Amino acid sequence: MSKIAEVKAKVEAGKTKLVAGLVQEALDEGDKAEDILQAMVDSMGVVGDKFSTGEIFVPEMLIAAKAMAKGVEVLKPLMAGDSASSLGTCVIGTVAGDLHDIGKNLVSMMIESAGFKIVDLGVDVPAQKFVDAVKENDNVTLVACSGLLTTTMPALKEAVQTLKASGLTGFKVIVGGAPVTPEYAVEVGADGYAPDAGSAAVKAKELVTA
Amino acid sequence: MLTKRQNLMETMKGGKPDRFVNQYEFMQMIMSVPITRVRPAIGEEKVNEWGVTFRWPEGQLGGFPVHDEEHILIKDIENWKDYVKAPSVKRPEEDWVPAIEAANAVDRNDQFVTCFVAPGLFEQTHHFMRMENALTAFYEYPDEMHELIDYLVEYELTYAKELIDHIHPDCIFHHDDWGGQISTFLSPKMFEEFFLEPYKKIYGYYKANGVELIVHHSDSYAATLVPYMIEMGIDIWQGVMTSNHTPELIKKYGGKITFMGDLDSGVIDFPAWNSEIIAKEVERACKTCGKLYFIPCLTQGLGISSFPGVYEETSAAIDRMSKELF
Repeated sequence: MSKIAEVKAKVEAGKTKLVAGLVQEALDEGDKAEDILQAMVDSMGVVGDKFSTGEIFVPEMLIAAKAMAKGVEVLKPLMAGDSASSLGTCVIGTVAGDLHDIGKNLVSMMIESAGFKIVDLGVDVPAQKFVDAVKENDNVTLVACSGLLTTTMPALKEAVQTLKASGLTGFKVIVGGAPVTPEYAVEVGADGYAPDAGSAAVKAKELVTA
Repeated sequence: MLTKRQNLMETMKGGKPDRFVNQYEFMQMIMSVPITRVRPAIGEEKVNEWGVTFRWPEGQLGGFPVHDEEHILIKDIENWKDYVKAPSVKRPEEDWVPAIEAANAVDRNDQFVTCFVAPGLFEQTHHFMRMENALTAFYEYPDEMHELIDYLVEYELTYAKELIDHIHPDCIFHHDDWGGQISTFLSPKMFEEFFLEPYKKIYGYYKANGVELIVHHSDSYAATLVPYMIEMGIDIWQGVMTSNHTPELIKKYGGKITFMGDLDSGVIDFPAWNSEIIAKEVERACKTCGKLYFIPCLTQGLGISSFPGVYEETSAAIDRMSKELF
């Protein structure tokens, strides 16, 4: 197995203590930082797919992302600017009135692993704050709004519609959360919907590269 | 007409209930037990008996643990003993009087005297250190997590002894949410490794000391954990969401465990609720799940609803289904 393939396998297996060393070994053997990063992004894609199909669970996904983060730390000094975030910036938050952060954090982690820079606004985020974040950050290509409660669905709608009415362009809006359905996403005017963190990363990439 | 207790037993053993068990009617919860959880009221922030800070902001349906760097309880799982100190369960005897009187007032032929226990073992781990940290710690620090859970079990057993000595409960209603809407948090294998034996100890202790019924609340998907629920001694899983395909679970496990729920609170219990939605959901649940090994109930973890009137309207709809189907 090549060193780069080993990095890929260990990220997928969530070997947090091994990945940084293996990334360094891959670099020492002449692999390019960009290729190593792509291998890790690919393995997180596999992790996301396995999560979506119920083959693995939240701890396995978290531990894989943590392993990748250790590898990225080794690569960062070698990579020009923000090339580890080649898909642009994703602004993410749980909508106003809703304090649930676990699902949002998982999505954030998976989207970051797919190649986005993350601006996490946290929970209970008013619609205008999403708009402000798009204005204040460079190269925002995606806004991800999460809502877990049926009672906060109106706030999700407001967030999407405020973003769409803001006059700002260059970004897509993705929504998700337990009560959100694909039909609801269309109804509120979102560009995309994902039922879980794994598919959120796939959808995010699809939306900004379309 | 059977008593509530008899009707429940007939439902659970596959006998001849004369109506649906209506939500929480068989449990008489003794909420005046003096070993109470410290919880914030709406708009408040409070540090609970374990040192976990909880906040309940206005407009929210409940309190949340605060997990920023300043407030998180376990800052380093390898040294969890430095942060986690079990609270005392000893209370002066006179403090128990209201709870004992409340228990004595219950007709045990009709209802189960029930003690409420929350949060559960899994919930405590993430209250202490944030969900993400707890979930990764099961991988990275399994020994410490086993130690922490064992410590929590010891606490639960001392708590259980107080309840048994003073209240002699017939039933324990124990919370521990093990999943989200579509999946469990842990894989079944990991759940087995960390939680099967601890819960066997806790529920076994209650059963060995006169408790007849263990009702466990997890308002989530947890279909894949049902075999463990049965093994650990759970008689009724309360909070079973429709995402578990309850009728299939009843077919597969009925007789070994009873399912209480299938009325997702999120679908029924919201500001714009109405009796048509409730009637439709109750009819669906009652007709698809059937009369045995099933208790129609909101998935909420107590006999209440978040929005006034929903619980009562749901009970009325269940009564109507009893008249139609029995």
